Amino acid sequence: MNSFINRFFAVREVPVFIALVIVFIVTSIANPAILSRSGALDIFLGVTVVAFLAVGQSLVIVMKYIDLSVSSTIGFSAWLIGKSTADGHSLTYCLILITIMGLTVGATNGFLVGYMKLPSLVVTLSTMYIVRGIFSQISSGRTIIESEVPSAVSFIGRNSLFGIPYMFIIALLLVIVAGQVMRRLRAARDLYAIGSNMPAAQLAGIPVAKRTFWAFVINSLIASTGGIILLSRFNAADTNSGLGLELNVIAACVVGGVAIAGGIGTTYGALIGALLLQSITQALGALGVSQFWQQAVNGTLLILAISLDRYLSLRVKPSTILRVKK
Amino acid sequence: MKKFTFSWDRGVGALLVLTIIVGSFITPYFAVSSNISFVIQDIGEIAIIALPMAFLIIAGEIDLSVASTLNLSSAAIGYSFRNGLPFWLCVVIGLLTGLTCGLINGILVTKFGLQSLAVTIGTLALFRGLCYVLLGNQPVNQMPDSWVKLGYTNIPHTFLPYSVILIAILGAAAWITLHYTRFGRWTFAVGINADAAKFSGIPVARMKLALFMTTGLMSGVAGIVYTFRFASSSPNGATGFELAVIASVLFGGVSIAGGVGTMWGVLAAVLELGVIRSVLQLIDVSANALLIVSGGLLLISVVLPRAIEISRGRRKIATQ
Repeated sequence: MNSFINRFFAVREVPVFIALVIVFIVTSIANPAILSRSGALDIFLGVTVVAFLAVGQSLVIVMKYIDLSVSSTIGFSAWLIGKSTADGHSLTYCLILITIMGLTVGATNGFLVGYMKLPSLVVTLSTMYIVRGIFSQISSGRTIIESEVPSAVSFIGRNSLFGIPYMFIIALLLVIVAGQVMRRLRAARDLYAIGSNMPAAQLAGIPVAKRTFWAFVINSLIASTGGIILLSRFNAADTNSGLGLELNVIAACVVGGVAIAGGIGTTYGALIGALLLQSITQALGALGVSQFWQQAVNGTLLILAISLDRYLSLRVKPSTILRVKK
Repeated sequence: MKKFTFSWDRGVGALLVLTIIVGSFITPYFAVSSNISFVIQDIGEIAIIALPMAFLIIAGEIDLSVASTLNLSSAAIGYSFRNGLPFWLCVVIGLLTGLTCGLINGILVTKFGLQSLAVTIGTLALFRGLCYVLLGNQPVNQMPDSWVKLGYTNIPHTFLPYSVILIAILGAAAWITLHYTRFGRWTFAVGINADAAKFSGIPVARMKLALFMTTGLMSGVAGIVYTFRFASSSPNGATGFELAVIASVLFGGVSIAGGVGTMWGVLAAVLELGVIRSVLQLIDVSANALLIVSGGLLLISVVLPRAIEISRGRRKIATQ
C-alpha cells in the first residue's frame, strides 16, 4: 500500500492535478460562479493558446533545450493570415505561407542547436528578436481587424461543441495525439534519452543532431499553426501579438512537470499546468483578489513547481535508476 | 580557445571604433555632444547590470529576472514616495529591494540547488507581479526635481551625463575584480568546472550567492538610474531589458557555457550596441531593424566562434 502511494505521487502530474482540484473546490465554496458555464468558458478560452504552444515546448524541454522564439512565430503567423486574407488570398494560401514561415524558423533553430551544437537559449533568444523584428518591419504598425479575419478562423473562436469551444477541442486533440506519440513512437522516446543523458544517447546510436533538428522544426510548426488559434481567440493581430507568451508557455510546462533539467514530462502534464495557471488567475478574480496579484502568484507557483521537482528527483531518482524494488 | 576569445573582444572593440567612424561620416548628428550624452544615458542601466551579469555567466549561472528586479526597485521607490517617505529613504529602500531580490535568487539557486535559468524565469514573473501589486496601474510622478535631475541633466560644464561617473567607477571595479583578484580567478574556475573548484577549496555556494546578490544590488542601482532618468516609476517599465543585457554580455565574448570572457569585451559590446542603436535611429531606420540587428549580432557572437572552431577541425567541446 505504501509503495502504491509512493508510486502514485511519483507521477508528477498527480500533485498538479490535485492542486487544480483544490483550487476549484476552494474557489467554488467562496464563489460558485467559477463553475458556471461562463466561468468554465473563460478558463477554456484563456488556456487554449498557452496549451497549444506548451505541446511543442514540451518536446524541446524534454531534450533539456528551450525555445523562446515561439512567441514571435505565433504572433507573426496570426498577422500573416489576416494580411493575406485582406489581400484577397485563399485560406490554403495562408496555411502554406505560415507553414513555410514556421519551417524556416524551426529549421534555423534546429540546425544551429542540433548540428552546430550551439546553446538553445542564445539561439532562440536571437531568433525571437529577429523574427519579431522582421514581423514589425513587414507589418509596420498595420493592425489586423475583425473583418480581415478569415471566416473559418473566426468560426473556431466563436463556436463551441457541448459548451466547449472548438479551439479548446483542437488544442486538446493536439495534446492527446502528441502525448500518445511521445509515449509510443521510438523517435519521440529518443528525445527523453537525449534529455536524460546526451553523451549516453549519442553512444547508444541515437541520431542526436537529427532528432534535435526535427524537434525544433515541429515546435515551430506548432507555433505557426497556433497563429490560427491566436487569431481566432482575439479576432485581431498587431505587432505586439504573442509578445511575452514564451514565458507563460515555459511556466505551464514546468508547473505541469516537464522538468527543465530534461528527460521528464508529458504533454498532458503541460496541459494541466496551463489549466492550473489559468484557473488560479480566474480564481483570484472570483475570490475578489486584485488582478494585480496574478503575475506574482504565477511566479511563486513556478518557483514552487521547480522546488517540488527538485525534491522529488532527490527522493525518487536513486530507486528508478537502480531499479530497486521493495 | 584562449587565444581565440582574446581576438573576439578585440574584434568587438574594432567594430566599435569602425561603427563610430562610419556613424560620424554618414550622419552629421552622430558625433555631437548632445547625442553622445544621449547614447551614454541610453546604455546606462544595461551597462550597470551587464557587469555583474558577466560574472554570473562566466561562473556558469544566469539571471533572467534583472529587468523585473530593476523595475521592482523603481516601483519600491515610487511606492514609498507615494506614501510620503523622504526621498533619500526611498532611494535606500530601492537599493535594499534590489539586494533582497538578488538574495532570493541566490538562496533558491545555492541552498535549494535549483537551476538558475528556471528559478529566474519564476522570479522574473514574481518581481514584475509585485510591481503591479505595489503600484497598481498608476505610475508615480512628481518626484523631487533636485534628485531626479541627476538622471536627465549633464554634469555642469561638460556634455556627459552623471551616469558616466557611475559606469566608470563600477566598470573599473568590475574589471579589476574579474581580472586581478582571487575572486575573479575563482569565478573562472567555478565556470570551467564547479565540482573541481569545490574540491580545490573554493566556497562555490557562497561565491554564487554573493554573485546573485551583487546582480540584484546592481539591478537596484540601475533601477534608481532608470527612475531618475524618466522622473517616474511605473509597473511596466524596463520590460525586455534582461534580453538586452544578456545579448550584450554574450556579444562581448562571454561564453554561455561558462569560464570564458573579459570585462572589457563586455563594456565594448554594451557601447557597440548603444552606438549602433543611435546611428540607426539617426539615419531613420525604424526601431524594428534594431531588433533584427541585436538578434543578428547575438547570433553571430555564438555562430562565428563555433564555425571557426569546426573549420579548424578542433575537437568538439560538449556544450551541455
